[in-house]
Amino acid sequence: MKLKLLLSISSLTFGSAVIAQTTTQTTPLEISGSVDTYFKYDFANQPNNIKTYFDSDHNSVSLGMIDVLLKKKTGKASFVGELSFGPRGQTQSIPDAAAGGSSFHIQNLYVNYDFSDKFSMTAGYMGTFVGYEVISPVANFNYSTSYLFGAGPFQNAGIKATYKFSDKVSLMAGLFNDWNLYKATKGVSSVGAQLMVAPLEGWTAYLNVLSGADPYGYGTIEDLTTSYQITKAFKLGLNAANYDVKGSDAGYAGVALYPQVAINDVVSLGLRAEYFKNKDVGGVIGDKYTAATLSANIKSGGLTLIPEVRLDHSGTKPFLNRGSSAVPNAGQFSIAAVYAF
Amino acid sequence: MKYFAVLFLFFFSLKLCAQQKQFSLNEDGKYVFYEVVDVKTISKDILMARAKVFINKLDKEVVKNHVLTDTSIFAKGKFVIDKTVLIAGHPSGEVSYNLTFEARNGKYRFWLTDFEYIPYQRNRYGNYVATTKIGTPLEKSTSKLNMGEWKANVSAAYNKVEKLSADFKEFLSRNPIVNPLENNKTKVNDKW
Repeated sequence: MKLKLLLSISSLTFGSAVIAQTTTQTTPLEISGSVDTYFKYDFANQPNNIKTYFDSDHNSVSLGMIDVLLKKKTGKASFVGELSFGPRGQTQSIPDAAAGGSSFHIQNLYVNYDFSDKFSMTAGYMGTFVGYEVISPVANFNYSTSYLFGAGPFQNAGIKATYKFSDKVSLMAGLFNDWNLYKATKGVSSVGAQLMVAPLEGWTAYLNVLSGADPYGYGTIEDLTTSYQITKAFKLGLNAANYDVKGSDAGYAGVALYPQVAINDVVSLGLRAEYFKNKDVGGVIGDKYTAATLSANIKSGGLTLIPEVRLDHSGTKPFLNRGSSAVPNAGQFSIAAVYAF
Repeated sequence: MKYFAVLFLFFFSLKLCAQQKQFSLNEDGKYVFYEVVDVKTISKDILMARAKVFINKLDKEVVKNHVLTDTSIFAKGKFVIDKTVLIAGHPSGEVSYNLTFEARNGKYRFWLTDFEYIPYQRNRYGNYVATTKIGTPLEKSTSKLNMGEWKANVSAAYNKVEKLSADFKEFLSRNPIVNPLENNKTKVNDKW
């Protein structure tokens, strides 16, 4: 009886090895992407009153972008290639590919190798690890973007290594070009790191630092990005960042809070409350902004409608009223349709 | 015309068969996939050993935290639902479940229940990741706007569970076998 059991188990060991092999097979080619379009109306009937990114056209049904992503994994190696076409992914993104005669923008183009379950390396051009919001409208709750998003990096080209200590802690470190460029203008000049911690079920926090060359010269950005799914219906996000230009008082700092509540499986409401300040340089006081953006996400299949109201305030009166006089307040309404496939 | 009618009936019956494939409900109103299997020549100990090997050797991300007794195994698992059009697609979500296995001499039973769905969303690097840690029970009714997508998820989950169940039963019924690779080896020696 025991011999039979042993034989059975030994044969199973071979059989189970076959099962284990099937889990590391080549995955099919993944194709996904999104399409987005929007209408925005500035309450003061002024184009470009609120100068954050993407929903920039006033009183116009305008285009976002079509975004197409390919991904494939073969054993431990994988690649991601993501191209976008249209204003959001082209002239409004950095770098402006259109200026170079291209009609698209690379969002991601990298290869990855998983040396083990815990250790992987990635090289290429990647969405930045800094910040809460991203270029793709699919991954943002609000359609308009924050001041923090506009001030920080969009993408980083470089090479990075990630070590996963456990499901609750991982560390990434890498060497990068200057921000948002396909090729370095100042050499591989930046170092970056990200510590991920997940202290509670549903709560994830990323502590990020990136130091080196950037569009402002040389500088260092420290960033905290975190979100906590407190209940099934309520999620709270937070982004705080500080940036200092090397050898100067210039830089910026800001914080944004993102409470979101799911009314049902179709409708969710989300608020973005932001404070942002450009730092004082010499005797020049930097602009301060506070902004409140209330958005709804109405989902049906792959389609998400995003009606949104946004109110911005700045004591330095950077906005215009209907009479084109400088005023401290601006507001806008927009409605966007985002389809993810 | 006759052939057309026959073809129509054939495809209609196929569709009916496909529609009949769905989870049943247990006494708590939850979806359950339940099977009792007779294997008259296999002892309880062998069934337990085989079931344990099957669960242990699955991907660590798929099945975890299993609890053993002399006659039963309880495990938590999950599988990924893919949204596929022709040959290409991408993961659209994951379904977690609880698996219970009980063995006796000559027969065993197992059931999967507590199915919960968590949708995936593409992150900044183009990878599909869970949007939340809190799942939605698969049997929960949904709004009309998302009914079609939800039904597709339930159907895809059933197909995955059916495949997992078939693999499990095949594995438990397998007789001790010799490694087939051993039989394929060409032996060159003095006996020819």
